[in-house]
Amino acid sequence: MTTDGARVAREAAGTAADALGVLRDALPEGRERDPRGYPVEGRRPAVALAPHTREEVAAGLAAAARGGLAVVPQAGRTALAAGGPLQRYDVALDLRELDRVVEHEPADLTITVEAGLGLGALADLLRPHRQQLPLDPPGGDGVSVGGMLASARPGSWRGLLPGAGDLLLGATVALPDGALARSGGRVVKNVAGYDLHRLHTGALGAFGVIVEASFKLVPLPQATATVVCRCQHLPQADGLARTLRHTPLAARGLALVGARAAAASGLGPAPHVIVGLAGAAAALDRSVREVRLCCRSAHVPHADVRDGDEGWGRLRALAAGAGSEIDGGDGTPLVVRGSLPVAALAAVLEEAEEAGFAAWAHLAAGSLLAVAPPSGEAGDRERVALLRERCEAAGGALAIESGPAALRAALDPTARAPDEVALDIARERRSRFDPLRTVNPGRWPRLDDPGERGAP
Amino acid sequence: MHVNAPTAALAEAASPGNEPSNPLRTDPALRAALARELRAIVDIPNVIDAPEELLVYEYDATIERARPDLVVLPASTDEAAATLAACARVGVPVVPRGSGTGFAGGALPVAGGVVVATARMTRIRELDAEERIAVVEPGVINLALQQAAARHGLRYAPDPSSQRICTIGGNVGTNAGGPHTLAHGSTVNHVLAVEFVLPDGRVTWLGGRQLDAPGVDLRALVVGSEGTLGLVTAICVRLLPLPEAVRTMLAVFDTVEGASGAVSAIVERGVIPVALEMLDAETIRAVESQARLGYPLDAGAVLLAEVEGLAEQVEEDAATVLAALTESGARTVRSADEEAERERLWEGRKAGIGALGAISPNFYLLDGVVPRTKLPAVMREVMALSEAYGFRCANIFHAGDGNLHPNIMFDELEPGSSSRVLELGGEILRLCVEAGGSITGEHGVGLEKRSYIEWIFDPPDLDAMTRVRDAFGGSGRFNPCKVLPVSHGCAQGHAAEAGQAALRLARAPGVYL
Repeated sequence: MTTDGARVAREAAGTAADALGVLRDALPEGRERDPRGYPVEGRRPAVALAPHTREEVAAGLAAAARGGLAVVPQAGRTALAAGGPLQRYDVALDLRELDRVVEHEPADLTITVEAGLGLGALADLLRPHRQQLPLDPPGGDGVSVGGMLASARPGSWRGLLPGAGDLLLGATVALPDGALARSGGRVVKNVAGYDLHRLHTGALGAFGVIVEASFKLVPLPQATATVVCRCQHLPQADGLARTLRHTPLAARGLALVGARAAAASGLGPAPHVIVGLAGAAAALDRSVREVRLCCRSAHVPHADVRDGDEGWGRLRALAAGAGSEIDGGDGTPLVVRGSLPVAALAAVLEEAEEAGFAAWAHLAAGSLLAVAPPSGEAGDRERVALLRERCEAAGGALAIESGPAALRAALDPTARAPDEVALDIARERRSRFDPLRTVNPGRWPRLDDPGERGAP
Repeated sequence: MHVNAPTAALAEAASPGNEPSNPLRTDPALRAALARELRAIVDIPNVIDAPEELLVYEYDATIERARPDLVVLPASTDEAAATLAACARVGVPVVPRGSGTGFAGGALPVAGGVVVATARMTRIRELDAEERIAVVEPGVINLALQQAAARHGLRYAPDPSSQRICTIGGNVGTNAGGPHTLAHGSTVNHVLAVEFVLPDGRVTWLGGRQLDAPGVDLRALVVGSEGTLGLVTAICVRLLPLPEAVRTMLAVFDTVEGASGAVSAIVERGVIPVALEMLDAETIRAVESQARLGYPLDAGAVLLAEVEGLAEQVEEDAATVLAALTESGARTVRSADEEAERERLWEGRKAGIGALGAISPNFYLLDGVVPRTKLPAVMREVMALSEAYGFRCANIFHAGDGNLHPNIMFDELEPGSSSRVLELGGEILRLCVEAGGSITGEHGVGLEKRSYIEWIFDPPDLDAMTRVRDAFGGSGRFNPCKVLPVSHGCAQGHAAEAGQAALRLARAPGVYL
């Protein structure tokens, strides 16, 4: 019962106009927005709603489900080109009004916020307390808390610092049956009940819409710096990066950057290794010395120390498809992420750059990012399929994090070699939480495709 | 320490008509047939059905006992999968079991059925030092993995104090923590993937060999599910490089409040140590009576703080911690860098629970969490409550995480003491909840806290959790009557309500926690 179920529900609710009427009535006055502001994959919703409270989100979802309408939650609009193409799009659910801090006790180093709050606003709020949520997903400040969790795109610090799921202490989710379900809590250590919040992380709304989240915070580092090492060729850069991985450093980032990616992010057209440092000044000084020593033994000519986060921001923007339309339409740039053994990163990076991608790898997470402007469906499909094959052959996987809808229709954005058993569990879960596929129908093609389920 | 008679309440839970469906209890022929089938899978000696041998599997680190009908010890994933498929065909409860060190009754087969013990699945299948991952079977002892990793300059971060005997599979079941959770997080943060057998016997890997594998993250759900969703037959964990430098500091305070204040003072200065552990006066005296470590007997609390990282960072952080300790009124502070000397500072912390076991006939070890800032107030109330109930209470806990472990000392031979201790335990956990905390930080809900869970979750929350559990297809047959409250729990409705009320006390002395 997916698309078909939704059709039956809609028929039961009367005409589409009736269903929309029911939906509008479910929320107070003044929640409607201009639907033209919410295009996704070249489509415009019939209605756009901006609920002010989590209860309104739940009420809206329930009304939409009753009417067989498809809802696409959004706030920062940075993750709308993820997952499979939407099968239906009736309602834009704008969560930006949910941007409150519910609780922040600085001395506990925890915070509870609503899902529509942007990461930039959150960072501004924490800075006076010398605290941070140490996550830097592609898109950075513009990403909303809910979008960051639902899309779960790791940033450049991942592996050396915890991931979003590790810092998430609990969450409240609005379900399509109108319920608000909470899991976890607000304390830093908690094993009571099933950790549903971890399951919503990266689920693209498959099991409900995140409306509130609690996080563990960390102190801001005393100092930060970036060492940019320009190499002569990729094998040299790979050797340096792997040596640095085994060198004690106050590092929070270690990236191997291909020549194209280096050029695109303003470093210059040569393979680079960049090291992000964070900690006490003395630890940074020592780390810079260590990096320079490693460069010398690897015959790497240049190692420049830059202030703070410089060098990383450009890569972060590149990974987000900066400056482009990223609503999943034809102009959306391709961003793919490979998960690979460290030993295979450089070889796949090289192939990616040869195929026209700008590519770089984060060694601590074993992840490879490859970005390219769209080049038409056939070409895109070919080069992404090639990279996926390489990743899988090396024992890894490849996800399309962002791209034109046509590409995401042609290739399953998330699947590696399909495991039917795991899919069954996920499909069963999706059915128990969202039987009519009200939220983001199609984002998980293998969970939502009626053909997969043997339905007509 | 164990009591030999099942409690009245558990006996009631196990009485006919009040238990989750278990055809083995009513049909001896079926039990014999299943035993025969299982023996064909795992070989004759690895199916246990003799009453005197089943005794060993009746308990965990709680005092409660519950008799399984059969125990199976598979040696491989294939054997485990075939075992589960056989159990599914008959529709019997299945209870996974590691070393049986749990404090929440998680491994107790309260509805009988088949206990699947992982004691023969002890291989480290792979340890790749370059990729910094290991693939281990669930019966691997936590310390064995630590030692294997250390040979490559690596470590597995979760280090529960029971690490000498607890298994990685059990750690995955409860999402175990340990003293170093403060900086490194719990088990879930270090498990990349699990090989998982569904209740029907199908096998799959959840997760991948790198962080953040694409796809729906079912791995994170299985970690901490206390064996209620299926059986984990292998775990791919990530290993971290050993730090260049470590410094351990031991500070003596006049009062628990003073030491709690120091915890906040350290954090406020922008340093998160990798461990911040506290022992109170009662524990200090117990430790000193067992092993002379030189703790002053009139001390109110001892605080252990550890920092690690690059040598320069450690120097800086240690200076900050030291200043915070001194300004918070520490009477003395001892510091150590060398491993042997650091071990000595940790000794009291590690010997604490065992020492308490030696000075009291029984004790009930609680596990609750409060926000760090509420620590002094809640500790005060814990002590006042214990006094009001007339019990001595010793505290030895993860102060940095706000993870309390009050140990209530009692003598179960004293009439009525067991139920009063349970009542006190409930009140203490209620305090934690009212302070904005949780009923368990690392031991799990198990049988012990399945009704307390309603204090922190509302019906829609629990309903969502039930939906998740049921999506795995076990429909309550897998480790029945655990985690979720009675109303959401046992397949047969209100069975074993008693189980949780009965779960009591008196933990084995030893190295746990």
